[in-house]
Amino acid sequence: MSKEEEKSIPRSPGREIIAVLPLGRVGDDILRVVGDSLQGILRLPVDLREPIPIPEDAFMESRNQYNAMTLIKYLDNELSHGSLKILGITGNDICNPILTYVFGEAYMGGRAAVMSSARLKAGLLGEPVSREHFLDRVVKVAIHEIGHTFNLRHCHTDRCVMRASNTLRELDEKLNYLCDYCEIFLFDSLKQSLKEPDTEDDAL
Amino acid sequence: MSPKKSRLMVVDDELIVRESLAAWLEQEGAVVDRAESGEQALDFMQENFYDILFVDIKMPGMGGFGLLERVKQSFPTTVVVVITAYGTVDHAVQAMKLGANDFLVKPFEPDGLGIMVAKLMEHKRLLEEAQYLRDEVTRCWGGPDEIIGQSAPMLELFDTIREVAPSESSVLILGETGTGKELIARAIHAHSKRMGGPFVPINCGAIPESLMESEIFGHEKGSFTGAVRPKKGLIEVADGGTLFLDEVGEITSKMQVDLLRVVQEKLFYRVGGVESIKADFRLISATHRDLPHEVAQGTFRQDFFYRINVITLRVPPLRERKEDIPLLVARCVQRFARETTRDVDSINDEALKILLEYEWPGNVRELENVVERAVVTSKRRIITPEAFAYLTTGDVCARTDYSSRSLERVEIEHIRRTLDEEDWNISRAAKILEVDRTTLHKKIRKYGLNR
Repeated sequence: MSKEEEKSIPRSPGREIIAVLPLGRVGDDILRVVGDSLQGILRLPVDLREPIPIPEDAFMESRNQYNAMTLIKYLDNELSHGSLKILGITGNDICNPILTYVFGEAYMGGRAAVMSSARLKAGLLGEPVSREHFLDRVVKVAIHEIGHTFNLRHCHTDRCVMRASNTLRELDEKLNYLCDYCEIFLFDSLKQSLKEPDTEDDAL
Repeated sequence: MSPKKSRLMVVDDELIVRESLAAWLEQEGAVVDRAESGEQALDFMQENFYDILFVDIKMPGMGGFGLLERVKQSFPTTVVVVITAYGTVDHAVQAMKLGANDFLVKPFEPDGLGIMVAKLMEHKRLLEEAQYLRDEVTRCWGGPDEIIGQSAPMLELFDTIREVAPSESSVLILGETGTGKELIARAIHAHSKRMGGPFVPINCGAIPESLMESEIFGHEKGSFTGAVRPKKGLIEVADGGTLFLDEVGEITSKMQVDLLRVVQEKLFYRVGGVESIKADFRLISATHRDLPHEVAQGTFRQDFFYRINVITLRVPPLRERKEDIPLLVARCVQRFARETTRDVDSINDEALKILLEYEWPGNVRELENVVERAVVTSKRRIITPEAFAYLTTGDVCARTDYSSRSLERVEIEHIRRTLDEEDWNISRAAKILEVDRTTLHKKIRKYGLNR
């Protein structure tokens, strides 16, 4: 997304805004497809924020990866105000203390989610996939993680985007949108969270 | 993962591991509890039923090994997965020897974790299904496992069953309603040489008198209006097996004569038939009635009684074998928890005490119903005394002793109970009984009642 377009999205602090925050350098096309698809699915304005450097205390030296849980906590504590949910996107590889890698991470019903594009470029045989294919994967991970923040569990309906995907093959097999059930649950949850009194906004 | 919501617990002293693993499992749709020590985990297990426990080996306090041992001892059906750090795989091996179902070396591949959880849930489902099917088979075949009891009268009964089963003699089973007379009959059948043959139960009280004959002996085509085709009787169905006449005391005297001939001559005729058919069955009968008394009264045929009563088995009522109640309750809880898919698996001591003190006029059948109700209404893993509060509020059901239902016995019992309640104050008792004091004195003398 170009700078002009980015500015056209309202930036007023508000509960109904979904923030997308690049952690370090992230391609414009990535931000654009993520922003567009979240906006399309949630029907809420998406705020594409200015990138910030990835917090170095999330770096796990022994594993040469960033700790997704530390990133989520950081996003939640420092940067989530002024928005309903925030999604951090990084090009670095992320993991958590028990898993060797994750495509993305979110807490059920939490305010922040994080995802990485680092592992999404490879084809099933190791060759790089087309940019289009890569962006499709990015969108799936983004919707999936934001879905968790709206309390959506892993779904077993057909090829719903909320299906668990631990491998690229599983990621490729599913579609990039929610099944009817998950969509209903998502909007129930969304209505609920827009109704709740927000203490964070008062603090602003 | 199975569609049923599973309940899991992550036991780890490190918050970050607890959180990340629990978050991952919650995304799968499971209910996940977190415990920071083995001790806390055991506390949780008292309250809830867990499908899988993820246990870190290295923890202060009792540690992962300690917890593993305790869980395998007290909750053997719970699946335990141990978590070890990279480089301490020998711990995992040790844990597997102690009964752990699987292990994870952290950090693990996300794919591996998903497959493992799915595999363990499937494993658990299969175990439960196998147990269920095994019980069903036992129930259908009336195997010995289905009759529960370790009390002296029951052990004696089991011995008698084993002794009489191989013979061909007719057996009469006496017992109050709900004591499991049919189970005893099935057990005899299962232990006899006829076990490969059919077991045909007939509830004589439930079949209308007019249909009884054609049900038991069958009929030929055209023998009566509506007999459009020939029909085999239950005696023919029982060929080579066992015929079980439940509530035999309800049979009419005409039917008794007909059956007597079959039992004696091993030949019978279908209704309207002229050809005799060979009957090869063993007869087991059961009743809650006092048949010798009815024979004396002339309401039950003496010759038929002697025919069916070659061997008599008396099934003790539940109140005479109260020491079996804990066993029966445990079995019922297990069965109903499975049938109603409720996570209830034990009963506490106070609740059991109520059941032990109750008189059980409806015997084991009543016990089953009481436990089923408790399982269905229980909100916790353990059944507590509140579930049985309704049993202790007064005489919901007066005790009925079927072996002595004569008016005289009832009167004696009633007078004795009233006198006991009034501490043998004749005036007060007479007032309650609404009779004269002299009448009461006379009755006390007549029946030889004393304190």
